[in-house]
Amino acid sequence: MKHLISFLAVFVGALFGGGFRYLIGLAFGGGSGFPFGTLFVNLTGAFCLPLLIHYLHDRFELSDGLVLSLSSGVLGAYTTFSTFTADVFRLFSGGEFVLLGLYLILSMVGGFLLALLGNYLAAFLAHREFWGNKKAD
Amino acid sequence: MNVVIVALGASVGAFVRNELTQASRKIKIDFPWMTLLINVIGSFILGLVTAKISDNALLLFLGTGLCGGFTTFGTFNFELSQLWFQKRYFRCFVYFCLSYLLGIFGFVCGIIL
Repeated sequence: MKHLISFLAVFVGALFGGGFRYLIGLAFGGGSGFPFGTLFVNLTGAFCLPLLIHYLHDRFELSDGLVLSLSSGVLGAYTTFSTFTADVFRLFSGGEFVLLGLYLILSMVGGFLLALLGNYLAAFLAHREFWGNKKAD
Repeated sequence: MNVVIVALGASVGAFVRNELTQASRKIKIDFPWMTLLINVIGSFILGLVTAKISDNALLLFLGTGLCGGFTTFGTFNFELSQLWFQKRYFRCFVYFCLSYLLGIFGFVCGIIL
C-alpha cells in the first residue's frame, strides 16, 4: 500500500512536471536556437528544490508523500539533464560556439549557484520565522 | 495532444528514477552515484532515440518525455549543494565534473552508435 502511494505520488507529480517543461519549451520557441526553455526549467527547478525540502516541508507541515510527489515527481520531471546534453550537442554541431559557451556557463554555474541560494533562502526564512515566533512568545 | 504524450513519458521516466534512487539508499556509499548513473544513462538513451527514431510522437514520448523525466537537473544540483554545505568540496567537484563530462559523452555515444 505504501509502495502504491509513493508510485502514484511520483507518477502524478511527473505528469505535471513533464507537461509543464514541454509547454515552457514551446513558449520559448521550441527546439531551435538558444535553448531558453531548458535553461529556464533547469535553473528555476534547481532553485526551488532546496526551498521545498529545507523550508516549505516544515513550514506548511507537508506530508512525506506530498514532498516526494513535489520533489521526485514534479521537480524531477520538470528539470532535465538529458535535454541539456542534447542542447549542448546541437549547439556544438551547429558551430554556435558563443551560444554554446553561454549555455554551458549559465547552466553549470547558474544551476549550482541557484541551488546554494535556495538553501540560503530556506535557512534565512526558517530562521527569521523561528525567532519571530520566539519574540511573540 | 503532444503535451499528454510528453507528460505520460515523463511519468514513466520519473517512476523508474524514483525506484532506482530509493533502492540505491540501501547501499551506503557517501556519493550520489545513482543520480550520476541515471543522468549518464538517460543522456545516452536520448542520443540513441534522437539518432534512430524519426516518428514524431514516439520521439516526444521516449525523448522529451521519458528521458527528460528520467534524468534530473534539480536533484543533481541539490546533491551538489549538500556536498558543498558538508564541506566535502572535493567530492562536490568530482560529482560536478563527472556528471557533465560523462553526460555529454553518453549523449554523443548514443548518437554515434
